[in-house]
Amino acid sequence: MSRDTWQVGGQELSSRLFLGTGLFPDPYVQMEAIKASGTEVLTFAIRRIHLDSVEDDSILQHVEPQKYIYLPNTSGAKTADEAVRIARLARASGLSDWIKVEISANKRTLLPDPIETLKATETLVKEGFTVLPYISDDPVICKKLEEAGAAAVMPGAAPIGTGLGILNPYHIGLIVEELSVPVIVDAGLGTASDVALAMELGVSGILMNTPVAKAKDPVMMARSMRLAIEAGRLAYLSGRIPKKRYASASSGLESLVIE
Amino acid sequence: MELIINGTKRELAAETVADVLRLLGLSGRPVMVEADGRVLKIEQWETTPVVPGMKLELVHFVAGG
Repeated sequence: MSRDTWQVGGQELSSRLFLGTGLFPDPYVQMEAIKASGTEVLTFAIRRIHLDSVEDDSILQHVEPQKYIYLPNTSGAKTADEAVRIARLARASGLSDWIKVEISANKRTLLPDPIETLKATETLVKEGFTVLPYISDDPVICKKLEEAGAAAVMPGAAPIGTGLGILNPYHIGLIVEELSVPVIVDAGLGTASDVALAMELGVSGILMNTPVAKAKDPVMMARSMRLAIEAGRLAYLSGRIPKKRYASASSGLESLVIE
Repeated sequence: MELIINGTKRELAAETVADVLRLLGLSGRPVMVEADGRVLKIEQWETTPVVPGMKLELVHFVAGG
Protein backbone atom coordinates (compact mmCIF):
# COMPACT_ATOMS: atom_id res chain seq x y z
CA MET A 1 0.00 0.00 0.00
CA SER A 2 1.29 3.49 -0.79
CA ARG A 3 1.63 5.92 2.10
CA ASP A 4 -1.84 6.53 3.53
CA THR A 5 -1.57 10.26 4.10
CA TRP A 6 -4.33 12.85 4.42
CA GLN A 7 -4.66 16.62 4.39
CA VAL A 8 -6.08 19.29 6.67
CA GLY A 9 -6.07 22.86 5.41
CA GLY A 10 -3.51 21.99 2.72
CA GLN A 11 -1.16 20.40 5.26
CA GLU A 12 -0.24 16.78 4.55
CA LEU A 13 -0.32 14.50 7.58
CA SER A 14 0.80 10.92 8.11
CA SER A 15 -0.46 10.37 11.65
CA ARG A 16 -4.22 10.27 12.14
CA LEU A 17 -4.01 11.09 15.85
CA PHE A 18 -4.22 14.59 17.29
CA LEU A 19 -3.15 14.58 20.92
CA GLY A 20 -4.26 16.94 23.68
CA THR A 21 -1.68 18.12 26.21
CA GLY A 22 -3.89 18.38 29.32
CA LEU A 23 -3.94 16.23 32.45
CA PHE A 24 -0.61 14.40 32.03
CA PRO A 25 1.05 13.49 35.34
CA ASP A 26 4.28 15.32 34.44
CA PRO A 27 6.09 16.85 31.45
CA TYR A 28 8.41 13.85 30.99
CA VAL A 29 5.55 11.35 30.72
CA GLN A 30 3.78 13.78 28.41
CA MET A 31 6.75 14.02 26.04
CA GLU A 32 7.21 10.25 26.00
CA ALA A 33 3.48 9.75 25.32
CA ILE A 34 3.60 12.28 22.50
CA LYS A 35 6.49 10.37 20.93
CA ALA A 36 4.80 6.97 21.41
CA SER A 37 1.56 8.23 19.87
CA GLY A 38 3.28 9.23 16.62
CA THR A 39 1.15 12.40 16.54
CA GLU A 40 2.02 15.41 14.40
CA VAL A 41 -0.61 17.74 15.87
CA LEU A 42 -0.81 18.90 19.50
CA THR A 43 -3.66 20.83 21.06
CA PHE A 44 -3.40 23.58 23.66
CA ALA A 45 -5.63 25.99 25.52
CA ILE A 46 -5.13 29.75 25.90
CA ARG A 47 -5.14 31.25 29.41
CA ARG A 48 -3.93 34.34 31.25
CA ILE A 49 -0.32 34.33 32.42
CA HIS A 50 0.09 34.18 36.20
CA LEU A 51 2.01 37.40 36.74
CA ASP A 52 2.95 36.64 40.34
CA SER A 53 4.81 33.41 39.56
CA VAL A 54 7.88 34.35 37.56
CA GLU A 55 8.82 30.88 36.34
CA ASP A 56 7.89 29.95 32.78
CA ASP A 57 4.76 27.82 33.09
CA SER A 58 3.98 27.85 29.36
CA ILE A 59 3.33 24.38 28.02
CA LEU A 60 5.57 25.17 25.05
CA GLN A 61 8.73 24.87 27.15
CA HIS A 62 8.03 21.12 27.30
CA VAL A 63 7.54 20.62 23.56
CA GLU A 64 10.26 20.36 20.93
CA PRO A 65 9.91 23.52 18.81
CA GLN A 66 8.97 23.34 15.10
CA LYS A 67 8.30 19.63 15.33
CA TYR A 68 4.54 19.73 15.69
CA ILE A 69 1.57 21.56 14.27
CA TYR A 70 -0.13 23.51 17.04
CA LEU A 71 -3.90 23.36 17.32
CA PRO A 72 -4.92 25.88 20.00
CA ASN A 73 -8.51 25.65 21.22
CA THR A 74 -11.06 28.22 22.34
CA SER A 75 -12.05 26.29 25.47
CA GLY A 76 -13.73 28.43 28.07
CA ALA A 77 -15.63 30.41 25.42
CA LYS A 78 -19.42 30.43 25.80
CA THR A 79 -20.19 32.61 22.77
CA ALA A 80 -18.94 33.04 19.21
CA ASP A 81 -17.48 36.46 20.12
CA GLU A 82 -15.45 34.99 22.98
CA ALA A 83 -14.18 32.18 20.75
CA VAL A 84 -13.16 34.65 18.01
CA ARG A 85 -11.29 36.74 20.59
CA ILE A 86 -9.36 33.72 21.89
CA ALA A 87 -8.62 32.59 18.31
CA ARG A 88 -7.16 35.99 17.41
CA LEU A 89 -4.96 35.88 20.52
CA ALA A 90 -3.81 32.36 19.63
CA ARG A 91 -2.82 33.43 16.13
CA ALA A 92 -0.91 36.43 17.52
CA SER A 93 1.58 33.88 18.88
CA GLY A 94 2.86 33.65 15.31
CA LEU A 95 3.01 29.88 15.83
CA SER A 96 -0.19 28.67 14.14
CA ASP A 97 -3.26 29.80 12.25
CA TRP A 98 -5.09 26.59 13.09
CA ILE A 99 -7.90 26.91 15.63
CA LYS A 100 -10.16 24.37 17.29
CA VAL A 101 -13.45 26.17 17.88
CA GLU A 102 -14.78 24.87 21.18
CA ILE A 103 -17.80 26.65 22.63
CA SER A 104 -19.45 24.89 25.53
CA ALA A 105 -23.10 25.55 26.25
CA ASN A 106 -23.48 23.51 29.42
CA LYS A 107 -21.18 23.19 32.43
CA ARG A 108 -22.17 19.62 33.29
CA THR A 109 -21.93 18.11 29.80
CA LEU A 110 -19.57 20.61 28.12
CA LEU A 111 -21.56 19.86 24.97
CA PRO A 112 -20.87 22.34 22.17
CA ASP A 113 -23.27 25.17 21.31
CA PRO A 114 -23.95 24.49 17.61
CA ILE A 115 -25.30 27.95 16.77
CA GLU A 116 -22.40 29.85 18.33
CA THR A 117 -19.93 27.33 16.85
CA LEU A 118 -21.29 27.95 13.36
CA LYS A 119 -21.12 31.74 13.83
CA ALA A 120 -17.54 31.58 15.09
CA THR A 121 -16.53 29.27 12.24
CA GLU A 122 -17.96 31.65 9.64
CA THR A 123 -16.10 34.62 11.12
CA LEU A 124 -12.77 32.85 11.56
CA VAL A 125 -12.82 31.33 8.06
CA LYS A 126 -13.30 34.86 6.67
CA GLU A 127 -10.29 35.99 8.71
CA GLY A 128 -8.14 33.30 7.12
CA PHE A 129 -7.89 30.81 9.97
CA THR A 130 -7.73 27.05 9.41
CA VAL A 131 -10.83 26.23 11.41
CA LEU A 132 -11.53 22.86 13.03
CA PRO A 133 -14.78 23.10 14.98
CA TYR A 134 -15.61 20.67 17.79
CA ILE A 135 -19.31 19.91 17.41
CA SER A 136 -22.08 17.45 18.30
CA ASP A 137 -22.45 14.25 16.28
CA ASP A 138 -25.27 15.75 14.24
CA PRO A 139 -24.90 15.28 10.46
CA VAL A 140 -26.88 18.45 9.62
CA ILE A 141 -24.79 20.89 11.66
CA CYS A 142 -21.60 19.10 10.58
CA LYS A 143 -22.55 19.71 6.94
CA LYS A 144 -23.29 23.38 7.68
CA LEU A 145 -19.83 23.75 9.23
CA GLU A 146 -18.27 22.30 6.10
CA GLU A 147 -20.26 24.74 3.98
CA ALA A 148 -19.03 27.57 6.23
CA GLY A 149 -15.47 26.66 5.25
CA ALA A 150 -14.26 24.46 8.11
CA ALA A 151 -11.01 22.69 7.14
CA ALA A 152 -12.15 19.62 9.08
CA VAL A 153 -15.19 18.90 11.22
CA MET A 154 -14.77 17.29 14.65
CA PRO A 155 -17.88 15.60 16.03
CA GLY A 156 -17.75 14.33 19.60
CA ALA A 157 -18.19 10.63 20.27
CA ALA A 158 -19.51 11.40 23.77
CA PRO A 159 -19.06 14.31 26.22
CA ILE A 160 -15.47 15.41 26.88
CA GLY A 161 -13.54 13.25 29.32
CA THR A 162 -16.32 10.68 29.82
CA GLY A 163 -14.65 7.76 28.04
CA LEU A 164 -18.11 6.48 27.05
CA GLY A 165 -17.01 5.67 23.50
CA ILE A 166 -19.04 6.24 20.34
CA LEU A 167 -22.62 6.72 21.53
CA ASN A 168 -24.05 7.05 18.03
CA PRO A 169 -22.02 5.16 15.45
CA TYR A 170 -24.85 5.57 12.94
CA HIS A 171 -24.47 9.37 13.07
CA ILE A 172 -20.66 9.25 12.85
CA GLY A 173 -21.00 7.01 9.77
CA LEU A 174 -23.54 9.39 8.21
CA ILE A 175 -21.29 12.39 8.85
CA VAL A 176 -18.45 10.62 7.05
CA GLU A 177 -20.77 9.90 4.10
CA GLU A 178 -22.12 13.47 3.92
CA LEU A 179 -18.90 15.48 4.24
CA SER A 180 -16.02 16.02 1.83
CA VAL A 181 -13.64 17.57 4.37
CA PRO A 182 -11.92 15.29 6.90
CA VAL A 183 -14.02 14.13 9.85
CA ILE A 184 -12.10 13.85 13.11
CA VAL A 185 -13.76 12.24 16.13
CA ASP A 186 -12.99 14.52 19.05
CA ALA A 187 -13.85 13.76 22.68
CA GLY A 188 -15.56 10.99 24.59
CA LEU A 189 -13.43 8.01 23.57
CA GLY A 190 -12.14 5.72 26.31
CA THR A 191 -9.89 3.02 24.97
CA ALA A 192 -8.34 1.46 21.89
CA SER A 193 -11.47 -0.38 20.72
CA ASP A 194 -13.36 2.95 20.60
CA VAL A 195 -10.64 4.37 18.39
CA ALA A 196 -10.62 1.32 16.12
CA LEU A 197 -14.43 1.53 15.76
CA ALA A 198 -14.23 5.21 14.84
CA MET A 199 -11.65 4.46 12.17
CA GLU A 200 -13.73 1.54 10.86
CA LEU A 201 -16.63 3.98 10.44
CA GLY A 202 -14.41 5.85 7.99
CA VAL A 203 -13.36 8.94 9.92
CA SER A 204 -10.07 10.52 8.87
CA GLY A 205 -8.63 11.02 12.33
CA ILE A 206 -9.02 11.10 16.10
CA LEU A 207 -8.42 13.86 18.62
CA MET A 208 -7.99 12.66 22.17
CA ASN A 209 -6.49 13.67 25.47
CA THR A 210 -7.97 12.18 28.66
CA PRO A 211 -7.80 8.47 27.68
CA VAL A 212 -4.06 8.78 27.16
CA ALA A 213 -3.17 11.32 29.84
CA LYS A 214 -5.19 9.67 32.62
CA ALA A 215 -4.33 6.05 31.79
CA LYS A 216 -2.27 4.26 34.45
CA ASP A 217 0.52 4.09 31.86
CA PRO A 218 0.02 7.04 29.49
CA VAL A 219 3.01 6.14 27.30
CA MET A 220 1.81 2.58 26.70
CA MET A 221 -1.75 3.82 26.10
CA ALA A 222 -0.44 6.34 23.54
CA ARG A 223 1.16 3.46 21.64
CA SER A 224 -2.05 1.47 21.95
CA MET A 225 -4.02 4.34 20.38
CA ARG A 226 -1.53 4.59 17.51
CA LEU A 227 -1.90 0.90 16.79
CA ALA A 228 -5.71 1.03 17.14
CA ILE A 229 -5.85 3.82 14.59
CA GLU A 230 -3.76 1.80 12.18
CA ALA A 231 -5.83 -1.35 12.78
CA GLY A 232 -9.16 0.45 12.36
CA ARG A 233 -7.96 2.31 9.29
CA LEU A 234 -6.74 -0.88 7.59
CA ALA A 235 -10.03 -2.63 8.43
CA TYR A 236 -11.95 0.28 6.88
CA LEU A 237 -9.84 0.27 3.72
CA SER A 238 -9.86 -3.50 3.32
CA GLY A 239 -13.64 -3.81 3.57
CA ARG A 240 -15.21 -5.86 6.33
CA ILE A 241 -17.58 -8.78 5.66
CA PRO A 242 -21.28 -8.13 5.93
CA LYS A 243 -22.94 -9.18 9.19
CA LYS A 244 -25.13 -12.30 8.90
CA ARG A 245 -27.70 -13.74 11.27
CA TYR A 246 -26.69 -17.42 10.98
CA ALA A 247 -23.48 -19.41 10.75
CA SER A 248 -21.65 -20.29 7.55
CA ALA A 249 -18.88 -22.87 7.91
CA SER A 250 -15.32 -22.07 6.86
CA SER A 251 -14.95 -25.57 5.32
CA GLY A 252 -17.60 -27.42 3.28
CA LEU A 253 -18.77 -30.90 4.19
CA GLU A 254 -17.32 -32.58 1.07
CA SER A 255 -14.75 -35.36 1.86
CA LEU A 256 -15.70 -35.42 5.50
CA VAL A 257 -14.17 -38.43 7.31
CA ILE A 258 -17.47 -39.29 8.94
CA GLU A 259 -19.66 -41.41 6.59
CA MET B 1 1.27 54.71 35.35
CA GLU B 2 -1.61 52.53 36.41
CA LEU B 3 -2.54 49.73 33.99
CA ILE B 4 -5.08 46.94 34.30
CA ILE B 5 -3.20 43.77 33.46
CA ASN B 6 -5.10 40.49 33.39
CA GLY B 7 -7.87 42.13 35.40
CA THR B 8 -5.60 43.51 38.16
CA LYS B 9 -4.39 47.10 38.61
CA ARG B 10 -0.60 47.50 38.42
CA GLU B 11 1.67 50.52 38.63
CA LEU B 12 4.40 50.30 35.98
CA ALA B 13 6.88 52.82 34.54
CA ALA B 14 6.24 51.77 30.95
CA GLU B 15 5.82 53.66 27.69
CA THR B 16 5.10 50.80 25.31
CA VAL B 17 3.64 47.32 25.47
CA ALA B 18 7.17 45.97 25.01
CA ASP B 19 8.22 47.88 28.17
CA VAL B 20 5.39 46.23 30.10
CA LEU B 21 6.56 42.78 29.05
CA ARG B 22 10.15 43.61 29.97
CA LEU B 23 9.17 44.96 33.39
CA LEU B 24 7.13 41.84 34.09
CA GLY B 25 10.01 39.56 33.08
CA LEU B 26 8.15 38.20 30.07
CA SER B 27 10.57 39.19 27.29
CA GLY B 28 11.39 36.34 24.97
CA ARG B 29 8.53 34.24 26.25
CA PRO B 30 5.72 32.92 24.03
CA VAL B 31 3.20 35.56 25.07
CA MET B 32 0.16 36.96 23.25
CA VAL B 33 -1.13 40.47 23.98
CA GLU B 34 -4.47 42.21 23.70
CA ALA B 35 -4.50 45.96 24.41
CA ASP B 36 -7.91 47.57 25.03
CA GLY B 37 -9.60 44.80 23.06
CA ARG B 38 -7.17 44.83 20.12
CA VAL B 39 -4.92 41.82 19.58
CA LEU B 40 -1.34 42.88 18.83
CA LYS B 41 1.16 41.20 16.58
CA ILE B 42 4.60 40.70 18.11
CA GLU B 43 6.07 43.42 15.87
CA GLN B 44 3.51 45.90 17.25
CA TRP B 45 4.68 45.57 20.87
CA GLU B 46 7.49 48.14 20.52
CA THR B 47 5.32 50.64 18.65
CA THR B 48 2.14 50.44 20.74
CA PRO B 49 2.14 53.07 23.52
CA VAL B 50 0.43 52.33 26.81
CA VAL B 51 -1.86 54.93 28.36
CA PRO B 52 -3.14 55.22 31.94
CA GLY B 53 -6.03 52.82 32.62
CA MET B 54 -5.26 50.69 29.55
CA LYS B 55 -6.53 47.14 29.80
CA LEU B 56 -3.92 44.58 28.81
CA GLU B 57 -4.49 40.87 28.52
CA LEU B 58 -1.31 38.78 28.56
CA VAL B 59 -1.99 35.15 27.69
CA HIS B 60 -0.09 32.06 26.65
CA PHE B 61 -0.51 28.44 25.61
CA VAL B 62 -1.32 26.04 28.43
CA ALA B 63 -2.07 22.32 28.54
CA GLY B 64 -5.40 21.50 26.98
CA GLY B 65 -7.29 19.14 24.75
